[in-house]
Amino acid sequence: MTVSTNGSAEFAPSLRAGTALAFPPLSFAARRRRVTGVVLRDLAALRRSPVRVFEIIFWPVVELVVWGYVTLFLESQKVPFVVSMLLGAVLLWQVLHRASNEVAIGFLEDIWSRNLLNMHVTPVTPPEYMTGLVLFSLTKIAAGITAMALLAYVIYGFGLLTVGIGLVPFMALLMIMGWALAFVAISCVLRFGEGAQVLAWSLVFVFQPLAGVFYPVSVLPQPLQYIAAFVPATHVFEGMRAVLNGGAIPWDRMAFAGVLDVVYVALALWLYAVTLRHARAKGRLSRFGE
Amino acid sequence: MKILEATSLAKRFGPVQAVADVSLTVRQGEIAGLLGPNGAGKSTTLHMLLGLVTPDSGTIRMFGLDLARHRTEVLSQVNFSASYLGLPGVLHVREVLDSFARMYGLRQPRERVDEIVELLEIGPLLRRKVIELSSGQQTRIQLAKALLNDPRLLILDEPTAALDPDAGDRIRGLLVRVARESGKALLITSHNMREVERMCDRIHFISGGRIVATGTAAELASDFGVEDLEEVFLKVARQGSIHI
Repeated sequence: MTVSTNGSAEFAPSLRAGTALAFPPLSFAARRRRVTGVVLRDLAALRRSPVRVFEIIFWPVVELVVWGYVTLFLESQKVPFVVSMLLGAVLLWQVLHRASNEVAIGFLEDIWSRNLLNMHVTPVTPPEYMTGLVLFSLTKIAAGITAMALLAYVIYGFGLLTVGIGLVPFMALLMIMGWALAFVAISCVLRFGEGAQVLAWSLVFVFQPLAGVFYPVSVLPQPLQYIAAFVPATHVFEGMRAVLNGGAIPWDRMAFAGVLDVVYVALALWLYAVTLRHARAKGRLSRFGE
Repeated sequence: MKILEATSLAKRFGPVQAVADVSLTVRQGEIAGLLGPNGAGKSTTLHMLLGLVTPDSGTIRMFGLDLARHRTEVLSQVNFSASYLGLPGVLHVREVLDSFARMYGLRQPRERVDEIVELLEIGPLLRRKVIELSSGQQTRIQLAKALLNDPRLLILDEPTAALDPDAGDRIRGLLVRVARESGKALLITSHNMREVERMCDRIHFISGGRIVATGTAAELASDFGVEDLEEVFLKVARQGSIHI
């Protein structure tokens, strides 16, 4: 096709009236299509980046190997239950850690590629964008945990499935908490700028000592135990230890953790809405395009 | 028919009054230019029109809808391209366009991408990563992205800034035809006065956060008593808030 400045050349069929081109913007079909766009974009980015694929496996494997051999050493010192406890903790911690990191990094990718403004001038709504990031993170979490679980079984003979049916609520509760933390990290970046992006990696570690990942919460000082009770992950790790000790799944604790998760997500989404409104009001969103 | 109607927009960032009082309209099929010196408030105005910046006061209506209340409906009919924006670098061009086509809720995203690829003659770039493209090629991909949803209003911030004269001329021709043949409205900023003279039906000059002159290139030159748009620009830039 030849294009000239006076616009006289033959024109391709793409300039037809576009009224039927898109689904009605508020329809469910349009919303589903927009979320799919976010997910496919991130999946394509993952596929095109061998480093990112490598990273899904690398860090979890490093943690597993280090902690695995620590547990073998402790076991040789006749410390009871230590293999299953610590390996279970390492694996479940990765669920929380990955859920938080992957969603936050998905958002940061848009900043790093100066694509954030392109995203914010699409009709993709904040909940749709977040849903896309969350769905994409599921893929990476599943890949990472599967690799770790296989490795744990092959090297240490620890089967993650020994946790039993409790694995489902444990993982779900940790993922939801991780996503909530990611929304908080994203909100901080929106509010304070790119300098706050370190929170995407570090915020989850604030909760590691409180949640009793590798030890019972009872070893914490009493004031910290009160705080830990309001961390959903605390109940998951306590529950995991109970199950691996041969006990039943403490469903009451799981239910409480579920309530806490709902509160965490609600607060995180509220914070995101507030900081996005603030970023638009103060012109901070525009600056991410510079 | 008015596609865009912005009334009395104002925006202050701390001590800086970025936009003081901007009112402008863009009609269906019209190519409107928004010109002004650096720091005049062009980008802030565009970003308010796109919902990236919330105005302190004033209203923005597009297609008869209030942007603040009907953001999703409005943005589904608008698109934007700017030379300072990027795209996900590791993605192939095809993947970028496919994902944006979905983000605009298109019914047949792949078919629409094929149409736009043909229109912009970017077929040879489809299997290349964005990061491997020259800045001129990236500009064409940005424009392709901006046409995906067949927008009723296309907002372009320096659309040909990174293009060589030949590519710039071809893109200008394309944009003019987009407006003429499909009735799209275009709102363009540019520091290329020749480009603006050739493309724009109406030009809004902004200075000190206010629209200080509006008209065709010929009308503005006549009103300012100068030969061409470049001299109008120089007068506005050097004298500040001349009101015509």
